[in-house]
Amino acid sequence: MYLYLPVALTSINILIPVGLGLAVGLLSGLFGVGGGFLLTPLLIMFGIPSTVAAATDSNQIVAASTSGTYAHWKVGNVDFKMGLYLLLGGFIGGIVGVQAIKLLHAMGNADFVIKITYILMLGIVGVYMFIESLQSMRKKKDGAVEVAKEEKESAMGRFLKSLPLQTRFEKSGITHSVFVPIVLGGFVGILAAIMGVGGGFLMVPIMVYMLRMPMHVVVGTSLFQILFTCIEVTFLQAYTNHSVDFLLAVLLLVGSTVGAQVGAVFGRKLKAEQLKILLAAIVLVVTVKIVFEVTLTPSLLLSQVGGH
Amino acid sequence: MKHQFKIQNVKFKLQTEVRKMQVTAALILTFAFCIMQFAFVGTAQAMLTAKANHDHITIDFFYHGSTVSVRGISDPGVDLVVKITSPEGHQVLKQKGKVAGVLWMNVGQLKFEQTPNFYEVFSTKKVEDILSREEMEKHVIGYPALAKHVDITPVANEEEKAKWFGEFVKFKEESKVYTTSSGKIATALNAEGKQDYYILTEWPYQAQPGDYLVSVYAVKDNKVIEQAQAKVNVEQIGMVKTLATMAKNSPAIYGFLSIGVALGAGVGVSMVFKKGGGSH
Repeated sequence: MYLYLPVALTSINILIPVGLGLAVGLLSGLFGVGGGFLLTPLLIMFGIPSTVAAATDSNQIVAASTSGTYAHWKVGNVDFKMGLYLLLGGFIGGIVGVQAIKLLHAMGNADFVIKITYILMLGIVGVYMFIESLQSMRKKKDGAVEVAKEEKESAMGRFLKSLPLQTRFEKSGITHSVFVPIVLGGFVGILAAIMGVGGGFLMVPIMVYMLRMPMHVVVGTSLFQILFTCIEVTFLQAYTNHSVDFLLAVLLLVGSTVGAQVGAVFGRKLKAEQLKILLAAIVLVVTVKIVFEVTLTPSLLLSQVGGH
Repeated sequence: MKHQFKIQNVKFKLQTEVRKMQVTAALILTFAFCIMQFAFVGTAQAMLTAKANHDHITIDFFYHGSTVSVRGISDPGVDLVVKITSPEGHQVLKQKGKVAGVLWMNVGQLKFEQTPNFYEVFSTKKVEDILSREEMEKHVIGYPALAKHVDITPVANEEEKAKWFGEFVKFKEESKVYTTSSGKIATALNAEGKQDYYILTEWPYQAQPGDYLVSVYAVKDNKVIEQAQAKVNVEQIGMVKTLATMAKNSPAIYGFLSIGVALGAGVGVSMVFKKGGGSH
């Protein structure tokens, strides 16, 4: 059955957005990512104008992350304190990033910087997570003790401990200076604004490897943070660009809210290393896709203004 | 003598009157001829008719495109061209190019002036075979004529303009809003010896709401000899119109509504899963 989308000005088979929503919601509940880096290009592929695809994606992520945050909160996997500090950093970083992108546009090489940042960030995060998860899976299997890593961690730990305003994050079972999540959140905020994405795929590895939070708490806390980011983005897109398609968002969220719940349930049955390696594999597949996109001659040399 | 002069005078008056009558008759005949000529030409101009069967297309939630048929009568033996266009405007598109010799990136924007967003041309035979280049350009019939009509900026030279116009057409054809084809118009002689013509076209759902002009051209000896027009209006109705208007005119309310529904759906589904025991 086809439905006409009033803002996208196109007609779509309802099974497409519902199915895509379900798949992306599943990833969201499993890994704590918004899934914008996957869903927006897919929507464009199915004929949705790029501006509408990006804006409507944010709207549906509000629903999926609400559903996912709720499911993770019920089982005690959301560190609200950490989430709020990251959100504060992300908010400041977002403002800096928007100014940076304005500057890049004025210099005329914005697209080049965006694409290269995208490929490098996805590539580095994907490769690092993949190798690290693979090693820890093997070591656990072999029963080996990570002596060298412990020493490295304590050196990093000593530096972090030396920072002022140390505070305890009970839910994650860690102690950090409040500046650590604010600065890291700010870093993700800058990159997210430059790349035009929510930043979940960057936030998750940062929480795992730099903040040393437990993987299951990372997923819930990331979703909590994404929820607020996407509420802000949805409003700004609707207000300034008039590009949120309400009907498309409803179709997507029908699938994504259910998917997020299923993902949260399924995620608890997987080990942390399995979750990390799966996310790393998805990030790497997306990286390869983007590398192909920028190296192979495109079928169309013109596109609508507004998307990537 | 006096009598003779009178007779001659009467003769002369008579001749003058006859001449006057002859001149008047000639003038009347010329005038009548002109009127007949004009009437004949008028009949020829009024011969070509065009009517779109579906001139008001409404878009509701279940709209997935439509069909539009154009029919009419023309002089026998003429070729026909049916052109459907939206009003001309300007369009800005992102332009891809190679950076550092290997990477395909958006390298700028191109502005296409005097271009319709929707352009369909159907003809009985290939337009290049039935129309001269001048006539095609005069009536903007066919892609080569449209290419000449359109302004593209910034381009360095004609060669570059031709390249980007080709890409523009490819982009529009991919979006189903540009097409040209020949042989789809059906023609048949009617009982009055005139030519009936008919074409049924798919109306793509990608065509945006607005007014569209259907122009029908009768073609003979490489020239357009007659022209007729019809209109098609595409309009959003009901909830589709309400939502589209709200998104444009009340963006703050629309934004809050979108966020509210998303939050509600997220919590709602969570509740359903909780009740169903899905989350534990």
